[in-house]
Amino acid sequence: MRTLQLGASLHDATVVLDDRVVLRAVSVMVGPGLTLVRGPNGSGKTTLLRALAGLVPLARGDRRVTGDVLYIGHRPMLLRGLTARENLEFFVRFRGGDTSRIDGALRGWGLGDDMDRPVERLSAGERRRAALARTETERVPVLLLDEPFADLDDAGVSRLRQVIARARGDGRSIVVATHAHRELDEMAVAQIAIDDGAARAA
Amino acid sequence: MIDRIALVALRELRAERRQPDGVVAAVTFIAVLVLLESLVVGPQMARNTDVAPALFWIALAFATILATMRSFDRELEDDALEALVALPGGRDALFGGKVLALTLVLGLVAAVGGVLSLVLLDLTVALPAQLVVVIAFGVAALPPVVVLDVVLALRLRARAALVPILALPVLTPHLLAASRGSAAALSGDATGAWAWAALLAAIALVYLVLGLSVVPAALD
Repeated sequence: MRTLQLGASLHDATVVLDDRVVLRAVSVMVGPGLTLVRGPNGSGKTTLLRALAGLVPLARGDRRVTGDVLYIGHRPMLLRGLTARENLEFFVRFRGGDTSRIDGALRGWGLGDDMDRPVERLSAGERRRAALARTETERVPVLLLDEPFADLDDAGVSRLRQVIARARGDGRSIVVATHAHRELDEMAVAQIAIDDGAARAA
Repeated sequence: MIDRIALVALRELRAERRQPDGVVAAVTFIAVLVLLESLVVGPQMARNTDVAPALFWIALAFATILATMRSFDRELEDDALEALVALPGGRDALFGGKVLALTLVLGLVAAVGGVLSLVLLDLTVALPAQLVVVIAFGVAALPPVVVLDVVLALRLRARAALVPILALPVLTPHLLAASRGSAAALSGDATGAWAWAALLAAIALVYLVLGLSVVPAALD
């Protein structure tokens, strides 16, 4: 497997949303392997990931990313009216990738019988699984996963751990924001603690 | 870039086919307006070549706003829009893809509304080819204006109320040109029909270029 020495960084990044400073002069560098972002609710974990993904404008500072980024947020980010397979095909084709892995990935996430149902007819857990299957179908070097274990049952949690371990082995950069799942600490090469918009290495 | 625009348009049309709320609302709206037209203004006035096109185009403008709002509402559910914007080139392809898909949807709505108007109001068309050209350019010029407005109002809580208010002043030249052009085609004024069609083509081009330039930055 090809090793991807790529990553993402923020330098002195400040994010202001609705007149409130949500990130304060944050500098982080994410390299290959698993980086955990931990912090209490409302501390700025989601904004940090969204800033790395380029989804929020920086009031100050800069963002550098080498290669494409895949961000999966709290919500599944799949278009209603399309099936799980159609959603994933769209993302893969948009990136110019290979769609042949989609069926296998969806089956691996337990959606073998449901991949052709419109996503609005899937349960929250199934939608979450379909979204997380993107980590296997879009071969991007940087994965940003925001609370990825939410809505998952034990089998889903186990599958996600395997995906993270495999991505780490492939040399991809994986950033996971979570306030639970301490067992991931052993796999992590770095941890970022964030509180009230300020980040520090943990 | 063109491939990505086509992918976004195809995604939009697939979703619309399974959840045809936007197109159904638009067709219903224009059909009801055509049905009510002769009741409200009287059969003679409704057949007037100035009145019938004006009401048709006002209805089509509101139908465009309805269909566009529904399209973006669907994107905002489950944050699907963010997934598209986060893709490399997603911001650039969004506007073009939405405009392309909505133009096709509105072409269908305009065809249904146009046929209903001609049949129910018993209108005679003096220059059918020119009428088709005016309607084609008129339809093509609506989505770029409305999609741009919806994107600019996307983060506003009151966007359902603000989009029509923001769009209608911008749409006024369009509505004028489309109504006059259609009236000219209905009454046999070929020169007038071509001139208004050319103005509609210019409006479509200007807003297409504006949207492609502004929307990627506006999505930040």
